Amino acid sequence: MRVLRYLGKLRLHRGGRWSRRTLLALCLAGGAASPGWAKPAPAAEKPAGERPKPAANPLPADRTTRLPARRYDAARLRELASQRDFRYVEPDQSTSVWDAFWARIWRWLGSMLRTPTGRVTWKYGVYAAILVALVYAVLKLLEVDVTAAFGRSGRRGQLAYDTGAENIHEVDFRTRIAEAEAAGNFRLAIRLGYLEVLKHLTDGGLIQWQPDKTNHAYLLELPAGPLRDAFRAATREFEYVWYGDLPLNAALYQQARATQRAVSTRLAGNSRAAVPAPNAFAD
Amino acid sequence: MDIENENPDVSPATTGPDFAAHVPATDATPSAPPTGSPDGAVAALVEAEAPVEAPVAAEAAFAPRTDFARLAAQTDAIRTEIGKIIVGQAELLELLLTAILADGHVLLEGVPGVAKTLMAKLLARTLEVPFSRIQFTPDLMPSDVLGTSVFRQNKADFEFRRGPIFASVVLIDEINRAPAKTQSALFEVMEERTVTQDGTTYPMTEPFLVLATQNPIEQEGTYRLPEAQLDRFLFKLHVGYPTLAEEVQILTGHHAGLGSTNLEAVRPILSATDLAALRQQVSQQRVEANILEYIAKLVGQTRAHKSLYLGASPRASLALLNGAKALAALRGRDFVTPEDVQFLAPSVLRHRIMLTPEREMEGGTPDDVVKQIMQQIEVPR
Repeated sequence: MRVLRYLGKLRLHRGGRWSRRTLLALCLAGGAASPGWAKPAPAAEKPAGERPKPAANPLPADRTTRLPARRYDAARLRELASQRDFRYVEPDQSTSVWDAFWARIWRWLGSMLRTPTGRVTWKYGVYAAILVALVYAVLKLLEVDVTAAFGRSGRRGQLAYDTGAENIHEVDFRTRIAEAEAAGNFRLAIRLGYLEVLKHLTDGGLIQWQPDKTNHAYLLELPAGPLRDAFRAATREFEYVWYGDLPLNAALYQQARATQRAVSTRLAGNSRAAVPAPNAFAD
Repeated sequence: MDIENENPDVSPATTGPDFAAHVPATDATPSAPPTGSPDGAVAALVEAEAPVEAPVAAEAAFAPRTDFARLAAQTDAIRTEIGKIIVGQAELLELLLTAILADGHVLLEGVPGVAKTLMAKLLARTLEVPFSRIQFTPDLMPSDVLGTSVFRQNKADFEFRRGPIFASVVLIDEINRAPAKTQSALFEVMEERTVTQDGTTYPMTEPFLVLATQNPIEQEGTYRLPEAQLDRFLFKLHVGYPTLAEEVQILTGHHAGLGSTNLEAVRPILSATDLAALRQQVSQQRVEANILEYIAKLVGQTRAHKSLYLGASPRASLALLNGAKALAALRGRDFVTPEDVQFLAPSVLRHRIMLTPEREMEGGTPDDVVKQIMQQIEVPR
């Protein structure tokens, strides 16, 4: 009782705040004042029927029952997250729409990559990118034009080029020359006649027809001799008529056509001389 | 139709390689006499078998309608005069004459010692017009080229002192040794043939021709010329090394004491009036519509080619056209052929196009690309 009174005084004097040292002192003082606290009195003997039974063996832990997985209540979490008190990072009000867009994209990517599938994809994606870079470097070093494999032939200009519009191997020269003659278009007839000469020379294997070659390139392909001279004359006349816009009368037209026929004649003569069969070109 | 039935070319069509089936087997027979109508002409063809020997009259009938005798004589005389000192370089000289007739400036590029400057000096000597030479150096100022205004104390005003650019033939030696600041002084005078100083425009006298020489830009102490200036040159010509035979000829002449560069031996051939007359003749050359389209296609493709970072401008098309007309005249024709265009295309285009860095790293050259473009476009015929 003295202790309690002392405690009551302590509350009065120290405003109810006890220090550990005070408590320790009180305990020591109480022990000294009350010998019964240090040596408790023996408990009264209980009857045999009320004695506690010896403790039974504890049950084994239940490892078969599946405990329900504890999950967060997503709706509650969202609700909390939407509350201002739980928003620990205040969004920057000065963030532009563009930055917000990219932040959203990166957040989305981050959430994707946190999934197991995302992690695997990221891992092999990096390997794939490194492989592609290596292949690209090797192709560049070997100067391989990969774009050609896909049929790309450079950027196209705005001009619609119609190269190869006329294939001399598909033109029916006889008919077209006859039509041009009938129409009095000698200039066109001379052009067609010259193309026919080129076709004959190509078929005879004396020149290699390519649309980008000039007439003089073909002339240089021919071996020196009468055939070359005849072709030179035909070329000269064709150029005066076609490029030089030389006005043609019937006489000049005949002359030019005769020169063109002379090339074919020479070519046929050469062929007969070269081939043992005398009528190789005869019908 | 009678024509179809009678014309041997219109016999039943043959297919395959037997194209010569309709070609007469016999050799020369005289062609039929000329007739006055198309039908007559065709009828004559029916009768006539193809002659092997072209008639002599063909040469006269198919001849230029412009008289190039004077042009041929004067250009031959220039070749002869320059040939007194320069050995070989026939193609280079032909291109230089083409540029003179086409009224265009020329940039000569080559390693040191291949007679670039000598060729330019000799060509200038064959022209009887005022000549000046400017040696471009890194510290050259625009006013050193164009001229400058000088204050006259006695009259208390400024007087414009004309620079060396005021001549008819200006040889700019080592043009790429001056920086872009000085190069820009040439922009106006090369294109517009005028010099504007202190608000006054001074026209150049005709003819006005800039012959510039330069070393390849890989050489030490050179600058790359601005694209705008390069575009103002009609041709960029490569001056290469002589062939073995030519070099032996150079050595032989030098050993015999004939190889000294005695410029006085070269006499002037063309006066300004003569040159104006020849240029007038060249400007009247015939150019077929398909050739114009061919030029446009060639130049247009440079703007779409994947190996090119910068394509050629419409000024390049004009340069190609004017050059082709002049070359045709030099070769005795009064019309332009695709041959002329193809011959000039590298000289006209090589300095006007820029390769992509990838193409450049692969070792490609503008000439390769121009050649590739020419191979892609069908020759009009």
